[in-house]
Amino acid sequence: MKKGHIYTLVFMVVLSAVLVFALAAAYEAFKPNIAANQRLKEERAVLYAFGLDQGLEDREVHDTFTRLIKEGEAKGKQVYVYEEEGQVKGYAFPFEGAALWGGLSGYLGVTADLGQTTGLVFTKQNETPGLGGRIDETWYKEQFRGLPLHQDTTLRYGQQADYQLDTITGATQTSAAVLRTVNQLLHDVILAQEVK
Amino acid sequence: MADKPMAIAKTQLFTENQVLRQILGICSSLAVTNSMNNSLVMGLGLSFVTALSSLTLSAMREIIPHRVRMLVQTLVIAVYVIFVDLFLQAFLPDISKQLGPYVGLIITNCIIMGRAEAYAQKNPPIPAMFDGLFAGLGYTGVLLIVALIREVLGFGTIFGINVNVIGFQTWTIMIMPPAAFFIIGSLIWALSARAQKKAAGGAK
Repeated sequence: MKKGHIYTLVFMVVLSAVLVFALAAAYEAFKPNIAANQRLKEERAVLYAFGLDQGLEDREVHDTFTRLIKEGEAKGKQVYVYEEEGQVKGYAFPFEGAALWGGLSGYLGVTADLGQTTGLVFTKQNETPGLGGRIDETWYKEQFRGLPLHQDTTLRYGQQADYQLDTITGATQTSAAVLRTVNQLLHDVILAQEVK
Repeated sequence: MADKPMAIAKTQLFTENQVLRQILGICSSLAVTNSMNNSLVMGLGLSFVTALSSLTLSAMREIIPHRVRMLVQTLVIAVYVIFVDLFLQAFLPDISKQLGPYVGLIITNCIIMGRAEAYAQKNPPIPAMFDGLFAGLGYTGVLLIVALIREVLGFGTIFGINVNVIGFQTWTIMIMPPAAFFIIGSLIWALSARAQKKAAGGAK
């Protein structure tokens, strides 16, 4: 069959329309699930930053989250506020930075008086699995609980006066990027002096 | 033409394995094979896309204008890949997160377009689907073999379950892409050596 330009053009337009329609339908069908998964991930991350997610099943996460966490403001930033019995227990500050392969974002939890960290969690990272990707492993993240914060705190790896942080072997760049991002958040936001 | 499903299976899984004999799909074979879980999902995703895109393209082969056939192939493949990506995001969020950009990169996997060009555009839909399916499963098989070696030596686990009972010091190199280079290289050598021996034997 001889196929002319018009046929080719019409064929492509019709085919594209049909396929795009099919994809849009699939997306609409999956949308509630995708959104629910993302919300769950976000809520679990925030709870983790406050050390509240231990032993929680997926279905319990949302209840705990709505019971204890409110959206609020601290240091001029939108943050998640951890409140229990009307008392503020801590804040989860969102951060974004650049790591070795791509963006790095997550939350740093701090106590209400900004004197200690409560936990660090990543919501997005694209580091090498098995190397930089290990920042998502529990032993690494757990190190960021209860670190003392002072006016001029800059977190460093190694044995320090009142805490110890271990870097990840074989993932120097990623480890450094995490501290760079966290320190930036500390200096620019959490520990920044209020300018009046 | 040997178009029985069994014959196609044998060709695609062993004698003409896409990764080891055609040296196609190497990029993702290097990237995702440090864990068996990821390899399995990646392989099944690819098998699904190859099977269905071959089926679709073969069904349309009479009406696709020849000069834009590659455009059509890419379009059809992309649609199925996006479908797989959405499916993973909706139902297997953890694996979706770990595979990250590699799911989207199934689109550029040479195996799919290779089968579309080499087989689907000249053969009826059902054999084309089997051809695509087994090409994908052949790829999955190779991925799993490579991942088994890498995961055991690199993490001390199989499918994430710890098997490192003797306290073996795991090798970081196995987790990194270079490890896949020499494992896949060895497999290619083994299969080629066997094929050559067979060819030499047949000639006598």
